[in-house]
Amino acid sequence: MRNDRRTTDATGRSGLVFLALIASVLPLPGGESAATATPALPVVTKPTPTQPAVGLPTDRHLDKEPPRATHGLDLVKMGWTYNCMDCHRLLEAKWHRDAPMVEHQNIRLIHGENRFCLNCHHPTNRNAFVDYDGSEIAESDVVRLCAKCHGTTFRDWQAGVHGRRNGYWDTASGSRSQLRCIQCHDPHAPKFPVMKPLAPPTYPARAAHPPTEGRAQH
Amino acid sequence: MNPVEPADGDSRTVEQACSPLTRRTFLKGSAASAVGLAAMAAALRPLLALEKENLTLDALLQRHYRELTPDQLGRILDRLEGECERTYGVHPEIRDIRPRDGTEFAYALNLGRCIGCRKCAHACLRENNQSRDSDEDINMSYIRVLELEKGGIDLETSDHYYDPGTVPRPGKYYMPVQCQQCREAPCTKVCPVRATWKEPDGVVVVDYNWCIGCRYCMAACPYDARRFNYSKPKLAAKHINPDQGYLSNRIRPKGVVEKCTFCLHRTREGKYPACLEVCPTGARVFGNIRDPDSEINYILQNKRVYVLKEDVGTRPRFYYFFDK
Ligand code: HEC
Ligand code: HEC
Ligand code: HEC
Ligand code: HEC
Repeated sequence: MRNDRRTTDATGRSGLVFLALIASVLPLPGGESAATATPALPVVTKPTPTQPAVGLPTDRHLDKEPPRATHGLDLVKMGWTYNCMDCHRLLEAKWHRDAPMVEHQNIRLIHGENRFCLNCHHPTNRNAFVDYDGSEIAESDVVRLCAKCHGTTFRDWQAGVHGRRNGYWDTASGSRSQLRCIQCHDPHAPKFPVMKPLAPPTYPARAAHPPTEGRAQH
Repeated sequence: MNPVEPADGDSRTVEQACSPLTRRTFLKGSAASAVGLAAMAAALRPLLALEKENLTLDALLQRHYRELTPDQLGRILDRLEGECERTYGVHPEIRDIRPRDGTEFAYALNLGRCIGCRKCAHACLRENNQSRDSDEDINMSYIRVLELEKGGIDLETSDHYYDPGTVPRPGKYYMPVQCQQCREAPCTKVCPVRATWKEPDGVVVVDYNWCIGCRYCMAACPYDARRFNYSKPKLAAKHINPDQGYLSNRIRPKGVVEKCTFCLHRTREGKYPACLEVCPTGARVFGNIRDPDSEINYILQNKRVYVLKEDVGTRPRFYYFFDK
């Protein structure tokens, strides 16, 4: 199901294949050497894309699956996983463009007035998000990214009343987890999705069996 | 108000506090005279007919929960665990979990966020061992999700059988209704044998071994929050949640009333109730109102909450509010 994306050890190698591809189409400042040069980027740790556990392991009978499985900051193409920077160390950040993007065509931004990719993604380090002052927000801190523009919602989230907590309400008795914004909202199209409702009841409340049926059976 | 209604935290036994009509005094008193005996036999006949499959002398003579010594209760729990294993093939752990000091529960539900997916109503059964014919059968769920027209709260025209391809439907909003754990609970006042009462942490509970199945409480409840076991609960072994509480989700006998207890076997141990755990939208907020930093207090202080059917004077512990 989720998290079963085909990741691979060969990430680096496949990245290089792509780089070579891109290098052949794009006019690169340093030619081939740019691909091997280490750019002076601050290091942002890249956490695993798996979602943290939700709630208590003893609650297996309850379906606590978050509405959305996060992708993480990886580009998955034809079963290969690419590090964003495999390509982006070679690409200049662009706020505006005249033609549709040649890459990432699956992403459609439906986020109200929030229309620019680089409102969220960091212009020079695509493994991170961007704060107001241009500093980086690590992927694991994605809530802070949303907080940038959704202060009141973020305040509610911190108080535990927007989004959902699981586990112990009383933290003296045990631990609790909290869903992050993107486990419910797709950052690119954040409106909460519609769902198929589970089965409805079939007869009026009050009884496991309507009296007549109950009498007939017992 | 009924003059014999025991106040919260009253230390008198039920027997002392209530009229001479409790089951126990009734049995004791009538044993003293021959007329009484005949009356008792007559009175017991319907009861026996109702419970004939699983009525044991032990169960019949069991005292009211609030009169039991720890020793007696321990034996009862053992007996109930054994009965469950024999009947349903699963050995549960039935515990007696008491209210915590300094704790009073309350619940709030954000109607602006609920989308009517019914995950709460289904999780309620997974947690609370209600009778069901199949996985899909939620007739005994303590939660009903009402579909209402936007712009009003006309409960009369609400629909809880809705089943469209996707929810939410345009122009509708959804209101899950369950026991409101009223501070002035009409159900506890009408019970002729005091089998249902309000605990110090605000939860209204039922002693299923004391309930005589008269269903007055169901008639008194303005929220349709109580369910009756017309037959012996049907439960497949794989559906049984073995983590059980005497006053909450242990498997009920036939002929008794049951209801939402805010999952007290979870919440009294510090966990969230099951319906909150599964809500995909985060519409549900639960907590201890005596703790100023709790989520529920944040809601009560920062959002405009209202209660259902305020005019009937039940003073619920369950609040609704509209917020994104
Ligand atoms: C509201 C902030 C925001 C905006 C605006 C935004 N993104 Fe994202 N993007 C994110 C977040 C957060 C993630 C991580 C998603 C996850 O973990 O599921 C992400 C993930 C990605 C990914 C990797 C995962 C995937 O789905 O392939 C790509 C590629 C991407 N964004 C490209 C874009 C492009 C192109 C745009 C502009 C059209 C854009 N983003 C606009 C927040 C944003
Ligand atoms: C296969 C190479 C490749 C990978 C890997 C890649 N991108 Fe891109 N990305 C591109 C190209 C090419 C463009 C520019 C397209 C254009 O200008 O038309 C682009 C554009 C973008 C843009 C639009 C803003 C801009 O500067 O042009 C964002 C945001 C973006 N990528 C985010 C990401 C993120 C986040 C990841 C990692 C999940 C990622 N990309 C991985 C090739 C890649
Ligand atoms: C750069 C500012 C900015 C950032 C960062 C941002 N948003 Fe938004 N968001 C907006 C704006 C602007 C709107 C549109 C408000 C409107 O149209 O009323 C919006 C709308 C929304 C909505 C309502 C959508 C709807 O149609 O109902 C949600 C949900 C949302 N954002 C979630 C998020 C999440 C989750 C994140 C973090 C991944 C995020 N936003 C990051 C600016 C931002
Ligand atoms: C448990 C799932 C969940 C989580 C986690 C969650 N939200 Fe929401 N959020 C919702 C739902 C449901 C709605 C209401 C449905 C809608 O209008 O999209 C909503 C609505 C919103 C809105 C729209 C409010 C408006 O006024 O229109 C914003 C903005 C938003 N969320 C931001 C966030 C941010 C920021 C975070 C993280 C700090 C977050 N959400 C975490 C479920 C969630």
